[in-house]
Amino acid sequence: MSVRTPAPAREAGERPPRGPAPRRRPGPRSRRWQGPAAAASFLLLLVGGWHVMALALDSVLVPGVDRIGAEVLRLLGDPRFYADLGVTFQRVALGFALAFVVAVCVGIAMGRSPLARRFFEPAVLIGLTVPGLVWALLCVIWFGVALINPVMAVALSSAPALTLSIYQGTRATDAHLLEMAHVYRFSFRDRLRHLWLPSLAPALFGGARLGLSLAWKVIVLVEIFGMSSGVGAAINGEFASQNVAGVLAWTVLFAFVMALLEYGLLQGLENRAGRWRKVSAV
Amino acid sequence: MSTAVELRGVGKSFTSVRDRRTEDVFSDFSLTVEPGELVALVGASGTGKTTLLHMVAGLERPDTGHVSGVGPGGDHGRLGVVFQQPRLLDWLPVRANVEIALRSAGLDPGAADAALAQVGLSEYADKYPSVLSGGQRQRVAVARAFAVDPSVVLLDEPFSALDELTGRRLRLLLQDLWTRQRRVGLLVTHSPAEAVFLADRVLVLAGRPAKVVREYHVSLPRPRSPEDPALFDLHRRVVADLL
Repeated sequence: MSVRTPAPAREAGERPPRGPAPRRRPGPRSRRWQGPAAAASFLLLLVGGWHVMALALDSVLVPGVDRIGAEVLRLLGDPRFYADLGVTFQRVALGFALAFVVAVCVGIAMGRSPLARRFFEPAVLIGLTVPGLVWALLCVIWFGVALINPVMAVALSSAPALTLSIYQGTRATDAHLLEMAHVYRFSFRDRLRHLWLPSLAPALFGGARLGLSLAWKVIVLVEIFGMSSGVGAAINGEFASQNVAGVLAWTVLFAFVMALLEYGLLQGLENRAGRWRKVSAV
Repeated sequence: MSTAVELRGVGKSFTSVRDRRTEDVFSDFSLTVEPGELVALVGASGTGKTTLLHMVAGLERPDTGHVSGVGPGGDHGRLGVVFQQPRLLDWLPVRANVEIALRSAGLDPGAADAALAQVGLSEYADKYPSVLSGGQRQRVAVARAFAVDPSVVLLDEPFSALDELTGRRLRLLLQDLWTRQRRVGLLVTHSPAEAVFLADRVLVLAGRPAKVVREYHVSLPRPRSPEDPALFDLHRRVVADLL
């Protein structure tokens, strides 16, 4: 659900505003590094600011960057870290796969049939408004420590956003192509694979981003409340032993790995799905 | 080939969304296209030409009457359609676009290359449609329509979005493909010149509900030349009907 700001429209015949001419425009090489440099400087400021704050407060509740760094290194050397991370990732993957399948079916049905839209609309709205914390609690109550608990919690919290996104993508699908597929009698499989999924790709990726970000949040809650393994349980352990640096180190690492997955994996897939588009831009 | 397209006593009305008035686009409309015949429908915008084509294609249902065409659920044979826009799957290479239609028709997808060769696009088979020009994309659409070995070919203003010269080349190509194997053809067009050049019979539609107000038989042998004075004479008469 990203909002794009439209470029300000320029009246016909109006000339571009003439500011003072830049003395030297940055070359393509330096321009390429501008973006990463800006991001890096934000992170540096954050880390530096945190450390200054820690020094000023001088409290065990706000550990300095050095102690957090030491915890991060300790975790990276600990095989249990990878085991916990793997368990959490597996739960998210299963739950998200379930949500994905349901969302594709329901989303397309909603886009195609007004009756289905009316039927599922309340479910999607309720699903969107129920906080992830409530799903986490309910799933712990209902399913206990079984694998289905985190999987359901992830599915329930990410499916509504995904469904909504796919529904909107379905409405944007070219009706002309559907007519074409109809007159040439495409099979259901061909329709799904070569018409629906490619036209829905932007909506799918947008929905997947949103759904995954919700999934990360709810999985940690579920693991804190009801599981004895996974990232959430580990954070809970650090919390119980009053190790603030440990909690922060886990958070930093978890966020880093998830961001890596999201940008690395999703971006890669999206680029692959959009190959044909790139060609046309040349 | 025993297939013909037949519309018998067809009625179709639309309810305008704005003022909820119902208008009859067709009322007791009948038309038969004989096997091997290419019939062109000309008429002003909004006379219902495309609606008629959609009914034959099975994309719309008549309110009353009967349409025997080949639309899905229809009885005889396959359908090849060239729309005003190419309507290709932009994310598939050109060859795959033709292959998928062949596969859906229960034919050997390997015939795609031959179909593309017929329209002179062999070297573009591996390209994505987005790198092709408008005329080339429409050629792919023509190749797809004829590749499925259709018993009925529907042409919905197939070349109206192209520039004059590209359109003329494609009309010649279509004539060529048509002469190789004659099927049942229905062409909807704005262009009287296109209609008289391609068709065996030109029907002028007008009014609401739409009626055939004039019928011309074009008995010139194929291949025809777009410069043929006889065609031009006929063209003038059709234009006079439309004005």
